[in-house]
Amino acid sequence: MNKELEHSFVELLEKHQNIAHKVCRLYTNNYDAHNDLFQEITIQLWRAYPKFRGDAKFSTWMYRVALNTAITLYRKSKRTINTQDFSGVEFKIKSEDYDNTEEEQLKVLYKAIRQLNDIDKALIFLYLEDKDYREISETLGISEVNARVKMNRIKTKLKTILNP
Amino acid sequence: MDELDLLKKDWNKPSQDKNLSAKDIYPMLHKKSSSIVKTLFYISIAELVFWTLINVSPYFMSASYRAKLDMVYTNQTVFTLVNMISYGIIFLFVYLLFKAHKAISVTDSAKKLMESILKTRKIIKYYVIYNLVVSFFAMVIGIYFGLKNNPEASRKFANATDEQLLLMYAVMIGFTAVFVVIIWLFYKLIYGLLLKRLNRNYNELQKLEL
Repeated sequence: MNKELEHSFVELLEKHQNIAHKVCRLYTNNYDAHNDLFQEITIQLWRAYPKFRGDAKFSTWMYRVALNTAITLYRKSKRTINTQDFSGVEFKIKSEDYDNTEEEQLKVLYKAIRQLNDIDKALIFLYLEDKDYREISETLGISEVNARVKMNRIKTKLKTILNP
Repeated sequence: MDELDLLKKDWNKPSQDKNLSAKDIYPMLHKKSSSIVKTLFYISIAELVFWTLINVSPYFMSASYRAKLDMVYTNQTVFTLVNMISYGIIFLFVYLLFKAHKAISVTDSAKKLMESILKTRKIIKYYVIYNLVVSFFAMVIGIYFGLKNNPEASRKFANATDEQLLLMYAVMIGFTAVFVVIIWLFYKLIYGLLLKRLNRNYNELQKLEL
């Protein structure tokens, strides 16, 4: 791989690294695992980069590679789970945790999201990133209708957690 | 939906994650991947080599086996044909495996990527099944010709009572069964651990499409 390619890649990744960090934040629960997953996402992006065509946006392309790495390719999460929890988020949700302040609401919501399975996390992630259902369905490889139905179910689930 | 809007707003706030510089990113490009695809690739290579050796090595390592085999294949054309077919099958599997690995693309949709990985695993599974079947038939044919060409053994065989024959068959079937179960457990363990998460997520995606 030539230096020019490497340079253009690093420049783009530096600019859009936030996407990978957000995926790591969602799929790992400690500092080491976060870095580990970020490293793997970088490798996968770099390997796929020569085939990246400029007609797609780098960020759009990056969402797919980062999520695929987190959901399918990454296999170290088990090893590093349950060490110190950098987000300070607890795992068990109790209805007593609920408090009407925004901060409390957010805390409970983040807790709830962390308990979702890998696929539901991907759905909520793409929703939070303002992706439309077409892009969500294309990223995950499911139909648009099913993406919408599932998303509504997750929303209802989160709402129930907040308003028991 | 108020709560999720609130979450969205918070989610899109400037990141609290550390911001890596280009200097931090450069060394990351050259680190080794620890993805399951890479592990699967090494396992498939190991399996190809292992099973090929298992089926080929007796021929090269034991002169008596070679002699017996030559005796079985009195017809040289049949021997050449069998050899050509078995090597052809090995090459076919190598080709299929190579093609399947090439087809794995991280830029596909999540579901397609999972399917490509599972397809690779399936090819190697078929290769193992093929080898087990070949080993089984080789064993049966070997015993048959061994007895046929060994007058003492065939005499003993002819004189054996029904009970003795039954016991002999039971022992043979028992050994084969234990062998197959051990191999099956070994695969369950290796692929079970490696593909547990992938299978779970794939099933989850499948469930969404029902």
